[in-house]
Amino acid sequence: METFYLALVFFLLLNLGAGMWRVLQGPTAADRMMAAQLFGTTSVAVLLLLGQVEGDSALHDVALVFALLAAVTAVAFVRRAWSEPEKEHDSK
Amino acid sequence: MEALSLLQWLIDGLIGIGLLWLAWRALFCPELFKAIVLFIAFGLLMTLAWVRLKAPDVALAEVAIGAGLTGALLLSSWAKLRGFDANKGMGAREKNSEQAEQKTKRPFFHGLYAIPLLLMAVGLGYGVLQLTPYATGLSAVVAENLDASGVSNPVTAVLLNFRAYDTLLEIAVLLLALIGIWSLGIRPSVREATPDPVLDLLTRFLTPLLLLVSAYLLWVGAHAPGGAFQAGSVLGAAGVLLILAGWRLPLSLAGLPLRITLVAGVSTFIVVAVLTMLGGAQLLAFPPSQASLIIFVLEITATLSIAAILAALFLGSRPDHSEKI
Repeated sequence: METFYLALVFFLLLNLGAGMWRVLQGPTAADRMMAAQLFGTTSVAVLLLLGQVEGDSALHDVALVFALLAAVTAVAFVRRAWSEPEKEHDSK
Repeated sequence: MEALSLLQWLIDGLIGIGLLWLAWRALFCPELFKAIVLFIAFGLLMTLAWVRLKAPDVALAEVAIGAGLTGALLLSSWAKLRGFDANKGMGAREKNSEQAEQKTKRPFFHGLYAIPLLLMAVGLGYGVLQLTPYATGLSAVVAENLDASGVSNPVTAVLLNFRAYDTLLEIAVLLLALIGIWSLGIRPSVREATPDPVLDLLTRFLTPLLLLVSAYLLWVGAHAPGGAFQAGSVLGAAGVLLILAGWRLPLSLAGLPLRITLVAGVSTFIVVAVLTMLGGAQLLAFPPSQASLIIFVLEITATLSIAAILAALFLGSRPDHSEKI
Protein backbone atom coordinates (compact mmCIF):
# COMPACT_ATOMS: atom_id res chain seq x y z
CA MET A 1 0.00 0.00 0.00
CA GLU A 2 2.89 2.31 0.78
CA THR A 3 4.28 1.78 -2.69
CA PHE A 4 0.91 2.67 -4.17
CA TYR A 5 0.70 5.89 -2.12
CA LEU A 6 4.23 6.91 -3.06
CA ALA A 7 3.53 6.17 -6.72
CA LEU A 8 0.53 8.51 -6.46
CA VAL A 9 2.75 11.17 -4.84
CA PHE A 10 5.20 10.81 -7.72
CA PHE A 11 2.41 11.15 -10.26
CA LEU A 12 1.11 14.29 -8.52
CA LEU A 13 4.59 15.80 -8.49
CA LEU A 14 4.79 15.22 -12.24
CA ASN A 15 1.52 17.17 -12.47
CA LEU A 16 3.23 19.99 -10.61
CA GLY A 17 5.86 19.98 -13.34
CA ALA A 18 3.10 20.59 -15.87
CA GLY A 19 1.82 23.37 -13.62
CA MET A 20 5.27 24.99 -13.60
CA TRP A 21 5.19 25.07 -17.36
CA ARG A 22 1.87 26.96 -17.22
CA VAL A 23 3.30 29.43 -14.69
CA LEU A 24 6.11 30.24 -17.11
CA GLN A 25 4.07 30.19 -20.33
CA GLY A 26 0.62 31.31 -19.19
CA PRO A 27 -0.21 34.30 -21.35
CA THR A 28 -2.33 36.08 -18.72
CA ALA A 29 -1.80 36.76 -15.04
CA ALA A 30 -4.87 34.65 -14.24
CA ASP A 31 -3.31 31.62 -15.97
CA ARG A 32 -0.19 31.89 -13.84
CA MET A 33 -2.20 32.35 -10.65
CA MET A 34 -4.45 29.39 -11.43
CA ALA A 35 -1.32 27.28 -11.90
CA ALA A 36 -0.10 28.41 -8.48
CA GLN A 37 -3.48 27.40 -7.05
CA LEU A 38 -3.05 24.00 -8.73
CA PHE A 39 0.27 23.79 -6.87
CA GLY A 40 -1.63 24.39 -3.65
CA THR A 41 -4.36 21.82 -4.27
CA THR A 42 -1.92 19.17 -5.48
CA SER A 43 0.35 19.79 -2.50
CA VAL A 44 -2.58 19.19 -0.15
CA ALA A 45 -3.10 15.80 -1.76
CA VAL A 46 0.63 15.04 -1.59
CA LEU A 47 0.74 16.01 2.08
CA LEU A 48 -2.25 13.79 2.94
CA LEU A 49 -0.67 10.85 1.10
CA LEU A 50 2.70 11.39 2.78
CA GLY A 51 0.91 11.68 6.13
CA GLN A 52 -0.65 8.28 5.45
CA VAL A 53 2.69 6.74 4.46
CA GLU A 54 4.59 8.11 7.44
CA GLY A 55 1.72 7.77 9.90
CA ASP A 56 2.29 11.32 11.05
CA SER A 57 -0.97 13.10 11.84
CA ALA A 58 0.85 16.47 12.02
CA LEU A 59 0.96 16.41 8.22
CA HIS A 60 -2.86 16.56 8.18
CA ASP A 61 -2.59 19.85 10.08
CA VAL A 62 -0.09 21.14 7.52
CA ALA A 63 -2.50 20.17 4.73
CA LEU A 64 -5.37 21.90 6.53
CA VAL A 65 -3.44 25.18 6.88
CA PHE A 66 -2.31 24.81 3.26
CA ALA A 67 -5.89 24.55 1.99
CA LEU A 68 -7.10 27.50 4.08
CA LEU A 69 -4.29 29.90 3.17
CA ALA A 70 -4.32 29.06 -0.54
CA ALA A 71 -7.87 30.46 -0.61
CA VAL A 72 -6.66 33.71 0.98
CA THR A 73 -3.90 34.05 -1.64
CA ALA A 74 -6.45 33.54 -4.39
CA VAL A 75 -8.72 36.23 -2.91
CA ALA A 76 -5.74 38.62 -2.62
CA PHE A 77 -4.99 38.08 -6.29
CA VAL A 78 -8.55 38.63 -7.46
CA ARG A 79 -9.13 41.71 -5.29
CA ARG A 80 -5.80 43.46 -5.65
CA ALA A 81 -3.85 42.29 -8.65
CA TRP A 82 -6.39 41.29 -11.25
CA SER A 83 -8.65 43.60 -13.16
CA GLU A 84 -10.89 42.66 -16.04
CA PRO A 85 -10.05 44.62 -19.17
CA GLU A 86 -13.51 46.17 -19.45
CA LYS A 87 -13.48 47.33 -15.85
CA GLU A 88 -10.14 49.08 -16.29
CA HIS A 89 -11.89 52.10 -17.79
CA ASP A 90 -14.60 52.80 -15.27
CA SER A 91 -12.43 52.62 -12.16
CA LYS A 92 -12.98 55.70 -10.04
CA MET B 1 11.09 -3.04 -1.04
CA GLU B 2 13.36 -1.98 -3.87
CA ALA B 3 10.52 -0.29 -5.70
CA LEU B 4 9.73 1.62 -2.52
CA SER B 5 13.21 3.08 -2.12
CA LEU B 6 13.40 3.85 -5.84
CA LEU B 7 10.10 5.76 -5.59
CA GLN B 8 11.29 7.70 -2.56
CA TRP B 9 14.49 8.54 -4.39
CA LEU B 10 12.52 9.70 -7.44
CA ILE B 11 10.20 11.87 -5.31
CA ASP B 12 13.06 13.52 -3.44
CA GLY B 13 14.96 14.09 -6.66
CA LEU B 14 11.93 15.64 -8.33
CA ILE B 15 11.36 17.98 -5.36
CA GLY B 16 15.03 18.97 -5.26
CA ILE B 17 15.31 19.69 -8.96
CA GLY B 18 11.97 21.52 -8.93
CA LEU B 19 13.12 23.73 -6.04
CA LEU B 20 16.39 24.70 -7.72
CA TRP B 21 14.65 25.36 -11.00
CA LEU B 22 11.88 27.47 -9.44
CA ALA B 23 14.41 29.46 -7.39
CA TRP B 24 16.50 30.14 -10.47
CA ARG B 25 13.48 31.20 -12.56
CA ALA B 26 12.08 33.37 -9.76
CA LEU B 27 15.39 35.20 -9.29
CA PHE B 28 16.10 35.83 -12.97
CA CYS B 29 12.59 36.56 -14.17
CA PRO B 30 12.28 40.08 -15.56
CA GLU B 31 8.49 40.17 -15.09
CA LEU B 32 7.65 40.97 -11.49
CA PHE B 33 4.27 39.21 -11.44
CA LYS B 34 5.70 36.03 -12.89
CA ALA B 35 8.47 36.12 -10.30
CA ILE B 36 5.89 36.45 -7.50
CA VAL B 37 3.88 33.45 -8.71
CA LEU B 38 7.12 31.46 -9.06
CA PHE B 39 8.02 32.44 -5.50
CA ILE B 40 4.62 31.26 -4.20
CA ALA B 41 5.11 27.96 -6.02
CA PHE B 42 8.62 27.75 -4.55
CA GLY B 43 7.19 28.16 -1.03
CA LEU B 44 4.67 25.36 -1.62
CA LEU B 45 7.34 22.98 -2.92
CA MET B 46 9.64 23.97 -0.04
CA THR B 47 6.92 22.78 2.36
CA LEU B 48 6.95 19.37 0.70
CA ALA B 49 10.75 19.33 0.98
CA TRP B 50 10.55 19.99 4.75
CA VAL B 51 7.98 17.21 5.08
CA ARG B 52 10.32 14.82 3.26
CA LEU B 53 13.12 15.91 5.62
CA LYS B 54 10.85 14.83 8.53
CA ALA B 55 10.53 18.36 9.90
CA PRO B 56 6.74 18.92 10.08
CA ASP B 57 7.24 21.90 12.43
CA VAL B 58 9.25 23.79 9.85
CA ALA B 59 6.82 22.70 7.13
CA LEU B 60 3.91 24.17 9.08
CA ALA B 61 5.78 27.46 9.62
CA GLU B 62 6.77 27.57 5.94
CA VAL B 63 3.21 27.04 4.75
CA ALA B 64 1.71 29.48 7.25
CA ILE B 65 4.15 32.33 6.71
CA GLY B 66 6.08 31.60 3.53
CA ALA B 67 3.40 30.29 1.22
CA GLY B 68 0.28 31.83 2.73
CA LEU B 69 0.76 35.40 3.85
CA THR B 70 3.88 36.31 1.88
CA GLY B 71 2.03 35.54 -1.34
CA ALA B 72 -0.84 37.85 -0.41
CA LEU B 73 1.61 40.57 0.73
CA LEU B 74 3.67 40.37 -2.46
CA LEU B 75 0.59 40.39 -4.71
CA SER B 76 -0.77 43.44 -2.90
CA SER B 77 2.57 45.26 -3.15
CA TRP B 78 2.74 44.43 -6.83
CA ALA B 79 -0.71 45.93 -7.37
CA LYS B 80 0.37 49.09 -5.53
CA LEU B 81 3.60 49.35 -7.57
CA ARG B 82 1.62 48.95 -10.77
CA GLY B 83 -0.72 51.77 -9.80
CA PHE B 84 2.31 53.90 -8.97
CA ASP B 85 3.89 53.19 -12.36
CA ALA B 86 0.65 54.04 -14.18
CA ASN B 87 0.48 57.40 -12.39
CA LYS B 88 4.10 58.17 -13.14
CA GLY B 89 3.83 56.98 -16.74
CA MET B 90 4.22 60.57 -17.98
CA GLY B 91 7.59 60.93 -16.34
CA ALA B 92 9.05 57.91 -18.10
CA ARG B 93 11.54 60.03 -19.94
CA GLU B 94 12.91 61.56 -16.76
CA LYS B 95 13.21 58.08 -15.33
CA ASN B 96 15.30 57.00 -18.30
CA SER B 97 17.71 59.86 -17.88
CA GLU B 98 17.93 59.12 -14.16
CA GLN B 99 18.71 55.53 -14.92
CA ALA B 100 21.44 56.58 -17.31
CA GLU B 101 22.88 58.76 -14.58
CA GLN B 102 22.80 55.86 -12.17
CA LYS B 103 24.58 53.66 -14.67
CA THR B 104 27.58 55.98 -14.77
CA LYS B 105 27.82 55.88 -10.97
CA ARG B 106 27.44 52.13 -10.73
CA PRO B 107 31.02 50.78 -10.95
CA PHE B 108 32.06 52.88 -7.95
CA PHE B 109 29.18 51.64 -5.79
CA HIS B 110 29.74 48.06 -6.89
CA GLY B 111 33.22 48.32 -5.44
CA LEU B 112 31.80 49.56 -2.14
CA TYR B 113 29.34 46.65 -1.90
CA ALA B 114 32.20 44.21 -2.29
CA ILE B 115 33.94 45.30 0.95
CA PRO B 116 31.22 44.32 3.49
CA LEU B 117 30.38 41.22 1.45
CA LEU B 118 34.02 40.14 1.52
CA LEU B 119 34.25 40.83 5.25
CA MET B 120 31.10 38.78 5.84
CA ALA B 121 32.44 35.91 3.73
CA VAL B 122 35.72 35.93 5.67
CA GLY B 123 33.85 36.01 9.00
CA LEU B 124 31.51 33.19 8.00
CA GLY B 125 34.38 31.11 6.64
CA TYR B 126 36.31 31.60 9.86
CA GLY B 127 33.24 30.60 11.87
CA VAL B 128 32.72 27.44 9.81
CA LEU B 129 36.38 26.43 10.15
CA GLN B 130 36.17 26.88 13.94
CA LEU B 131 33.33 24.34 14.21
CA THR B 132 34.13 20.92 15.57
CA PRO B 133 34.08 18.45 12.68
CA TYR B 134 31.72 15.99 14.37
CA ALA B 135 29.00 17.58 16.48
CA THR B 136 26.48 15.40 18.26
CA GLY B 137 23.79 18.08 18.23
CA LEU B 138 21.67 19.20 21.12
CA SER B 139 18.64 16.94 20.66
CA ALA B 140 19.80 14.62 23.46
CA VAL B 141 20.10 17.59 25.86
CA VAL B 142 16.63 18.80 24.87
CA ALA B 143 15.13 15.32 25.34
CA GLU B 144 16.75 15.07 28.78
CA ASN B 145 15.31 18.38 29.98
CA LEU B 146 11.94 18.10 28.26
CA ASP B 147 10.17 17.31 31.55
CA ALA B 148 11.28 20.63 33.04
CA SER B 149 10.11 22.68 30.05
CA GLY B 150 6.37 22.53 30.72
CA VAL B 151 5.51 21.25 27.22
CA SER B 152 5.98 17.89 25.51
CA ASN B 153 6.79 19.10 21.98
CA PRO B 154 10.59 19.52 21.81
CA VAL B 155 10.37 22.29 19.18
CA THR B 156 8.03 24.38 21.35
CA ALA B 157 10.23 23.64 24.38
CA VAL B 158 13.26 25.06 22.55
CA LEU B 159 11.45 28.06 21.04
CA LEU B 160 9.57 29.18 24.15
CA ASN B 161 11.65 27.94 27.05
CA PHE B 162 15.27 26.99 26.39
CA ARG B 163 15.83 29.69 23.79
CA ALA B 164 12.87 31.95 24.48
CA TYR B 165 14.92 35.05 23.70
CA ASP B 166 15.00 33.92 20.04
CA THR B 167 11.23 34.14 19.91
CA LEU B 168 11.30 37.46 21.77
CA LEU B 169 13.67 38.92 19.17
CA GLU B 170 11.65 37.45 16.27
CA ILE B 171 8.49 39.19 17.44
CA ALA B 172 10.52 42.38 17.95
CA VAL B 173 11.74 42.16 14.34
CA LEU B 174 8.15 41.87 13.10
CA LEU B 175 7.14 44.88 15.19
CA LEU B 176 10.13 46.89 13.90
CA ALA B 177 9.16 46.08 10.30
CA LEU B 178 5.66 47.41 10.97
CA ILE B 179 7.02 50.57 12.65
CA GLY B 180 9.24 51.10 9.60
CA ILE B 181 6.26 50.87 7.27
CA TRP B 182 4.07 53.08 9.46
CA SER B 183 6.76 55.76 9.57
CA LEU B 184 6.36 56.11 5.79
CA GLY B 185 2.99 57.80 6.20
CA ILE B 186 -0.72 57.52 6.74
CA ARG B 187 -2.77 55.25 4.54
CA PRO B 188 -4.48 57.14 1.76
CA SER B 189 -8.19 56.43 1.79
CA VAL B 190 -8.60 53.98 -1.06
CA ARG B 191 -12.09 53.33 -2.31
CA GLU B 192 -12.51 49.68 -3.04
CA ALA B 193 -15.32 48.11 -4.95
CA THR B 194 -17.88 46.47 -2.69
CA PRO B 195 -17.28 42.72 -2.48
CA ASP B 196 -19.32 40.57 -4.79
CA PRO B 197 -21.68 37.98 -3.24
CA VAL B 198 -19.22 35.14 -3.78
CA LEU B 199 -16.44 36.82 -1.81
CA ASP B 200 -18.94 37.86 0.82
CA LEU B 201 -20.10 34.27 1.27
CA LEU B 202 -16.54 32.91 1.22
CA THR B 203 -15.49 35.37 3.92
CA ARG B 204 -18.45 34.38 6.08
CA PHE B 205 -17.55 30.70 5.78
CA LEU B 206 -13.78 31.01 5.95
CA THR B 207 -13.27 33.50 8.79
CA PRO B 208 -14.74 31.30 11.56
CA LEU B 209 -12.75 28.35 10.18
CA LEU B 210 -9.52 30.36 10.24
CA LEU B 211 -10.23 31.43 13.82
CA LEU B 212 -10.89 27.81 14.84
CA VAL B 213 -7.73 26.48 13.14
CA SER B 214 -5.67 29.27 14.68
CA ALA B 215 -6.89 28.38 18.17
CA TYR B 216 -6.27 24.70 17.43
CA LEU B 217 -2.68 25.34 16.29
CA LEU B 218 -2.03 27.41 19.41
CA TRP B 219 -3.37 24.65 21.64
CA VAL B 220 -1.74 21.72 19.85
CA GLY B 221 1.68 23.47 19.93
CA ALA B 222 2.27 22.17 23.44
CA HIS B 223 2.60 18.56 22.29
CA ALA B 224 2.71 18.50 18.47
CA PRO B 225 3.77 20.77 15.60
CA GLY B 226 2.04 24.10 15.99
CA GLY B 227 2.57 27.16 18.12
CA ALA B 228 2.35 30.92 18.31
CA PHE B 229 3.83 31.87 14.94
CA GLN B 230 1.71 29.44 12.97
CA ALA B 231 -1.45 30.29 14.92
CA GLY B 232 -0.66 34.00 14.58
CA SER B 233 -0.24 33.86 10.85
CA VAL B 234 -3.47 31.89 10.37
CA LEU B 235 -5.25 34.47 12.53
CA GLY B 236 -3.49 37.20 10.53
CA ALA B 237 -4.77 35.55 7.34
CA ALA B 238 -8.30 35.92 8.72
CA GLY B 239 -7.54 39.64 9.13
CA VAL B 240 -6.19 39.85 5.58
CA LEU B 241 -9.32 38.15 4.24
CA LEU B 242 -11.53 40.62 6.10
CA ILE B 243 -9.47 43.55 4.81
CA LEU B 244 -9.77 42.20 1.26
CA ALA B 245 -13.53 41.87 1.67
CA GLY B 246 -13.71 45.56 2.50
CA TRP B 247 -13.98 45.35 6.27
CA ARG B 248 -12.14 48.02 8.24
CA LEU B 249 -11.28 48.26 11.90
CA PRO B 250 -13.81 50.50 13.63
CA LEU B 251 -12.27 53.93 14.18
CA SER B 252 -12.66 53.63 17.94
CA LEU B 253 -10.36 50.58 17.88
CA ALA B 254 -7.83 51.83 15.32
CA GLY B 255 -5.98 53.99 17.82
CA LEU B 256 -4.78 52.89 21.23
CA PRO B 257 -6.47 49.43 21.34
CA LEU B 258 -4.75 48.42 18.08
CA ARG B 259 -1.39 49.65 19.30
CA ILE B 260 -1.73 47.79 22.60
CA THR B 261 -2.48 44.57 20.68
CA LEU B 262 0.54 45.16 18.43
CA VAL B 263 3.01 45.48 21.31
CA ALA B 264 1.33 42.97 23.69
CA GLY B 265 3.54 40.07 22.59
CA VAL B 266 6.85 41.85 23.00
CA SER B 267 5.87 43.59 26.23
CA THR B 268 4.60 40.39 27.88
CA PHE B 269 7.90 38.75 26.96
CA ILE B 270 9.87 41.64 28.46
CA VAL B 271 7.78 41.66 31.65
CA VAL B 272 8.34 37.90 32.07
CA ALA B 273 12.07 38.36 31.38
CA VAL B 274 12.35 41.08 34.05
CA LEU B 275 10.32 39.03 36.54
CA THR B 276 12.51 35.94 36.06
CA MET B 277 15.64 38.05 36.55
CA LEU B 278 14.18 39.68 39.67
CA GLY B 279 13.46 36.18 40.96
CA GLY B 280 17.18 35.48 40.85
CA ALA B 281 17.11 33.25 37.78
CA GLN B 282 18.64 33.89 34.39
CA LEU B 283 16.88 35.83 31.63
CA LEU B 284 13.70 33.93 30.66
CA ALA B 285 14.62 30.86 32.72
CA PHE B 286 11.19 29.70 33.86
CA PRO B 287 10.74 27.73 37.09
CA PRO B 288 9.69 24.21 35.97
CA SER B 289 6.56 24.22 38.12
CA GLN B 290 5.09 27.28 36.39
CA ALA B 291 6.73 26.88 32.96
CA SER B 292 3.61 25.44 31.38
CA LEU B 293 1.44 28.39 32.44
CA ILE B 294 4.06 31.00 31.50
CA ILE B 295 4.50 29.48 28.04
CA PHE B 296 0.74 29.42 27.53
CA VAL B 297 0.36 33.11 28.44
CA LEU B 298 3.35 34.06 26.26
CA GLU B 299 1.94 32.09 23.33
CA ILE B 300 -1.52 33.64 23.56
CA THR B 301 -0.24 37.23 23.61
CA ALA B 302 2.36 36.45 20.94
CA THR B 303 -0.33 34.94 18.69
CA LEU B 304 -2.57 38.00 19.03
CA SER B 305 0.34 40.39 18.40
CA ILE B 306 1.69 38.46 15.42
CA ALA B 307 -1.78 38.30 13.87
CA ALA B 308 -2.34 42.04 14.36
CA ILE B 309 1.13 42.90 13.03
CA LEU B 310 0.74 40.70 9.93
CA ALA B 311 -2.71 42.11 9.13
CA ALA B 312 -1.37 45.65 9.66
CA LEU B 313 1.58 44.87 7.38
CA PHE B 314 -0.88 43.83 4.72
CA LEU B 315 -2.86 47.03 5.12
CA GLY B 316 0.35 48.83 4.21
CA SER B 317 0.44 52.03 6.14
CA ARG B 318 -0.84 53.42 9.39
CA PRO B 319 -4.65 53.39 9.63
CA ASP B 320 -5.79 56.94 9.92
CA HIS B 321 -7.84 57.31 13.09
CA SER B 322 -7.35 61.01 13.76
CA GLU B 323 -9.30 62.21 10.73
CA LYS B 324 -12.99 62.92 10.57
CA ILE B 325 -15.29 60.28 11.91
